[in-house]
Amino acid sequence: MSAPAVPSGTDFGISIDDVDLSDRTFWAQPPEVKHAVLDLLRAESPFAYFAEPVIPYLPVGPGYRAVTRYADLEAISCRPDLFSSGAGAVSIQDMPPDLNEFYGSLISMDDPRHAKIRRIVAKAFTPKILQGLVGSVQAVAEDVVAHARRTAAEGDGTIDVVADIAAPVPLRVICDLMGVPEEDRAMVLQQSNVILSGGDPELIESEDNAVAAFLQAGELLAGLMTRMAVERRARPTEDLTTALVNAEVDGERLTDQEIASFFILLLVAGNETTRNAISQGVLALSEHPDQRDRWAADPGLDRTAVEEIVRWTSPITWMRRTSTQEVELSGQTFPAGTKFLLFYAAANRDPAVFADPHRFNLGRDPNPHVGFGSKGPHFCLGAHLARREIAVTFRTLFEHLPDLEVVGPPDRLQSSFVNGLKRLPARLAR
Amino acid sequence: MTRVEVDRDRCISSGVCEHLAPEAFELDDDGVLQLLPAEPDPAVVAEAVRACPSGALTLADRAH
Repeated sequence: MSAPAVPSGTDFGISIDDVDLSDRTFWAQPPEVKHAVLDLLRAESPFAYFAEPVIPYLPVGPGYRAVTRYADLEAISCRPDLFSSGAGAVSIQDMPPDLNEFYGSLISMDDPRHAKIRRIVAKAFTPKILQGLVGSVQAVAEDVVAHARRTAAEGDGTIDVVADIAAPVPLRVICDLMGVPEEDRAMVLQQSNVILSGGDPELIESEDNAVAAFLQAGELLAGLMTRMAVERRARPTEDLTTALVNAEVDGERLTDQEIASFFILLLVAGNETTRNAISQGVLALSEHPDQRDRWAADPGLDRTAVEEIVRWTSPITWMRRTSTQEVELSGQTFPAGTKFLLFYAAANRDPAVFADPHRFNLGRDPNPHVGFGSKGPHFCLGAHLARREIAVTFRTLFEHLPDLEVVGPPDRLQSSFVNGLKRLPARLAR
Repeated sequence: MTRVEVDRDRCISSGVCEHLAPEAFELDDDGVLQLLPAEPDPAVVAEAVRACPSGALTLADRAH
């Protein structure tokens, strides 16, 4: 079977001189255009230099290198001593250190602090503990899907895959895990959207207000978490918040500030990423009906299918590292302080690693994708949870909404960092 | 047979090894990696060692 033809950048009339990865509108384009450009960069300029986007009130830094080859990305990831996260992993600009740690938590932290906190929280994310959550993820997925069915029946037969399926599943799982009260959940969804908006104009009213909106969202979420931490210390429950307030490593506990930061990390990293994998998985299956039928008929395909959806969508487009000293990569030398953006979306389509990289193949095996991050201490803490949620959600969709049909083009988030959909219109035929 | 060694200082309890080879690896209730006594498929163990994100696992040939 031949792969669908994917044009290269030059087929779109794109020359490397025209490419600007810092232009937000570039990221709202269809995936085939973005991948054509990333292919071009990987082949012709694997450490391409870009100037930084201008954000009001933040100083403009020296620019960054776009890392697009799998091998280079892995080489950087597995040397955290040479390539630091502490200067900021989730923003191109250097943020003030306190803001950076508050919003990035573990993601924007280096060892030894990173190792210490990761050990505390890792206890709550072992495969065994998550195995115990299978039932609750299943119950959440079934409830969400039943609600989507009612929404379609009571309306004109249409639903929005994002708002009605992909967003509520991970949000409810994370909120259940943490023990967030029902009445606070709408606020949690709204504020986590603001933090991960990437400045998308629909989610942040004005770019001038972006920093203020970020701060306010963080305050609201931190306020909720601080309140919950106090309550759990007084009345422990079975939830993750209780585990976090009580967890100790080397006699040290997390502070309220650290718990609040970790909560924000869970919301943004564990919520939106899974949402975007599910919504774009639905889209990919509608574009590849043969793959959809194959998976629906064979639960044995769950393991490889989930990995392929994560590779295909690469929900987080990049993370940043900053060199701590002069470094050499593939024979090129870069000075200390160089910013590197690790483009997971590009590495996940690197033909040096993946045969037929632009072919969506749910049976792909092995599939050493870097959708959960590459090697190194920052590998996704929630990978098992995400895999579980994606597998359970699709199995539930196959069983309860086999008539789901995507009926309109997706509305894409204008963000270079998060590969997301804002809306995906669908119809339930029954 | 092959033997696996764990560098405790590097292990981040990612659970990737347990995901790939649950018969050989298990994170205990404290998130500490335990090597199980079973003799699993060497190819599966080799894959788990390769995939370990923190580079905490190494294969060592047992002398006897």
